[in-house]
Amino acid sequence: MLKTIIKREILEYLKSAKFLIGLGITLALAVGSTVINVQDYKGRLQDYQAAGQEMKSDRFYQHLYRQPQVLSTLIQGKDRRLGNSITVTYLAIPSTTSGYMGEGTSQHHRLVSGFAAVDFAFIVRVVLSLMVVFIAYNAVSEEKSSGTLKLTLSNPMPRDQLLLGKFLGGWFVIMGSLAVAALASLILVLSHSFIAFASGEWTRFLAFIGVSVLYLTVFYTISLFVSVLVNRPSISLMILLQAWVFLIVIYPNLGIIAAENLFKLPSQEQLAQQKVAAFQPYEAEQKKVQEAFSQGVQKGEVSKELSLRNIDLWAKRADLEHQVDEEFGRKLTAQTNLARAISGLSPAVLFDQAAERYGRTGLAEYERFMREVYRYWQQHVERSKLMYTDREAYKKAPAIEFRVPVETTAEAFAATWLAWLLLAFFSLAFFALGYTAFLKKDVR
Amino acid sequence: MKTIIRKELLDHLRSVQFAVLLAASIVLFAANGLVFVQHYARLRASYQKAVAENDQQPSTMMTRPYRAPSSLLFMAEGGDKSSPKGYWLGPKLTLSPMPAGTANFKMPDIPELDWAFIIKIIFSLYVILLGFEAVSGEKERGTLRLVLSNPVGRVKLLTGKYLAIISSAAIPLLAGLLISLIVIGVFLPAVLGPQNLARIVFFFILALAYLSLFAFLSLLFSALIPRSSLVLLVLLAFWIFFAFFIPDTSSIAAQKFSKVPSEYEMAKLVGPTIQGEVWKRIAKIQDRIQKGELKTEQAIREEADRAYEEGQVSVRKLYDDYDNAMQERAALAQRISRASPAALFQYAAEAVSETGPTAESRFLRDVRNYSRTYDNYILKKVGKVVGTSPWGFSTGATLNGKYINLQSPFPQEYAGDKSDFPKFSESRASLLDGLHNGLWDIAGLLVWNILLAGLAFSAFLRTDVR
Repeated sequence: MLKTIIKREILEYLKSAKFLIGLGITLALAVGSTVINVQDYKGRLQDYQAAGQEMKSDRFYQHLYRQPQVLSTLIQGKDRRLGNSITVTYLAIPSTTSGYMGEGTSQHHRLVSGFAAVDFAFIVRVVLSLMVVFIAYNAVSEEKSSGTLKLTLSNPMPRDQLLLGKFLGGWFVIMGSLAVAALASLILVLSHSFIAFASGEWTRFLAFIGVSVLYLTVFYTISLFVSVLVNRPSISLMILLQAWVFLIVIYPNLGIIAAENLFKLPSQEQLAQQKVAAFQPYEAEQKKVQEAFSQGVQKGEVSKELSLRNIDLWAKRADLEHQVDEEFGRKLTAQTNLARAISGLSPAVLFDQAAERYGRTGLAEYERFMREVYRYWQQHVERSKLMYTDREAYKKAPAIEFRVPVETTAEAFAATWLAWLLLAFFSLAFFALGYTAFLKKDVR
Repeated sequence: MKTIIRKELLDHLRSVQFAVLLAASIVLFAANGLVFVQHYARLRASYQKAVAENDQQPSTMMTRPYRAPSSLLFMAEGGDKSSPKGYWLGPKLTLSPMPAGTANFKMPDIPELDWAFIIKIIFSLYVILLGFEAVSGEKERGTLRLVLSNPVGRVKLLTGKYLAIISSAAIPLLAGLLISLIVIGVFLPAVLGPQNLARIVFFFILALAYLSLFAFLSLLFSALIPRSSLVLLVLLAFWIFFAFFIPDTSSIAAQKFSKVPSEYEMAKLVGPTIQGEVWKRIAKIQDRIQKGELKTEQAIREEADRAYEEGQVSVRKLYDDYDNAMQERAALAQRISRASPAALFQYAAEAVSETGPTAESRFLRDVRNYSRTYDNYILKKVGKVVGTSPWGFSTGATLNGKYINLQSPFPQEYAGDKSDFPKFSESRASLLDGLHNGLWDIAGLLVWNILLAGLAFSAFLRTDVR
């Protein structure tokens, strides 16, 4: 019995113009955006590889480059917008990455950096969720208003079976569309010779599809619930579209505004003051050492101890300033987390968060990179000191290896379980609501 | 005619859409006002503090022209949060931007909740929701036939429907704008001067022109496609395409289509250029010392200073080229995104509010002009203008067994009275300039309107109403 209903529902949907139009739009956007994003990734990858080979560091300036992520072709996240290079010396560790040319004036241009991304994650978040609303808004209300609901239920057919059949029928259609769009994008991505997924990336991609399934299910169950509750299809569509706009556009935005006003950040001036204060205890000594050092340079002889102390103090200064930057960075993260917590009831926010994590295109990946930069810097300072203690060893010292450890999939899951749980909870809750509402529904 | 408009308008006013739109409009615009009031007060205070600090420490080595925060950020923010709040300006136009400061780069990239955004995204969607059933809905219910059996022309009927849609969108819009303005007027009355009010009125007209285009679009498809739910689906596809897809992919597309070399390719040239231009000249000096052409330390130092100065000219030019290339790419991205009326509206709104890229480049122009005054001042006080360099060079030469340390020249601080230090002032564009800048965008909006109106009317005149 259930099978018959599911089959009927699926066939009904597949024949419908709204499904065909929706699928057509989804596919066109998925293909268009993936083609653009792959080209973009190609350029960034070429630059990254060339930079590693051609822009070698000298012994003073150390250039470190951030590798573009393969999955940014599907989930762009912040990958494009966070700079791609950082240059450290023992005098300074910058607090953020910049472009290859350093922080040029044009870097700030929003039309260069791009505001938002249209990628596969966007297709799921906006386009497919909208299609879900269109598929499901009249699942029950249409049958009620056309009177077929009464007829169907006059057969020996339990109500719960009917609803379950309807639910599964529509669900398979939606997931089918998701699968088609995902496959089309995936084929486009993998058909390029410069792109290869490692095994971890496959797991990540599948996890991303899993979250997409849950995310779309939430919208599906909400739509079904409203469709049961409201008798006129046009009104149920209106309500659902309003809910959609609220959950995807308005609510996340208000969350950020609230967080920005609840959690105040220190100003740049305050940061500068903190940096000065942190180095205060060494200030006098550095001045003295610096004077003695430049006098020594002019005379042409500088003692080993003086040079060592000089470099030590400079490194100390860089380290202390870096700690102030780190503290500020933690505050930025706290503000961001607050915004996410406030807007955490929006499925779109949960989805975004999980998608970025799996794509390794979010902040977590950036922070891993910056931690590695710091570790590298410490080694670089040690090596630079050799210049004064053991010149031979300094000349022979090998290049310090810079390798950002890859986040394991287990870590990614550990960071996103709450998103899974909440999305699953919303799906179940709205399904249960729709279910009980349907059992009580007056079908006449 | 009046009857039609009245009937349609009353229909809309009773609908769910209208109630929700009114509520959403009030909430969003009130939030916009409150956020702006706080944000602007903060910006203003930090701007004044920074300017005062700079004025207190006039320096011939480096000065800091700051950008005054625009008092119309609530209308169109225009990327203000991520643009530099000022520049460090050294002699010989050595410019480097200050960090933007207010933006938390870790936040999800969600656009600013300014008037332009609320209208561009939310109101356009609601106009679609108000308009998609206009023809197809009546046909489905069968009332269209009845209405047209009365002595009512089709043109009149459609005009009535169009005006009704526009006015039912304009009412919540006006309510929202007023709420926002009341909030701002209570806390920051200075913002609402006659200049700004004129801009606000223009903005409102622009918003209506933008929304009218969506009304025509809705009527067009409503007349073409007989089933309302399909009409809505197609309209939403257009909405996504206009409001998100075209503007958001334009920057990547521009990168692809522009002949501008990538940032990395430019960066690659920096090292060799420094090598070729600076060190080659220094090596030549050492050659000349060997040959005995430079005999005194003074002569060597002068030559070295010249070599560093001349050598850096081409490195500076490289950075300028890079900046120009990026500007060019941004301009291309803007041109591509103009395929979308949502982008046209955004740029027109920015032009009217004097925010966004145009305002930023105007500020940069002012800084460049000021740089000349600054250099003249330094020349008058110090006697020579030495450019600051992002790179410090240091090498040495040996003359008759004596080691001479050669460092790249650095600007000097004038120790005497600096009370006549020239102050930086920004030029302010008038509303007329703004309209001039946004002329093509405004014209574009009008073209869209005329085109869609023509299509909508011709489609409706041919519709089979049975």
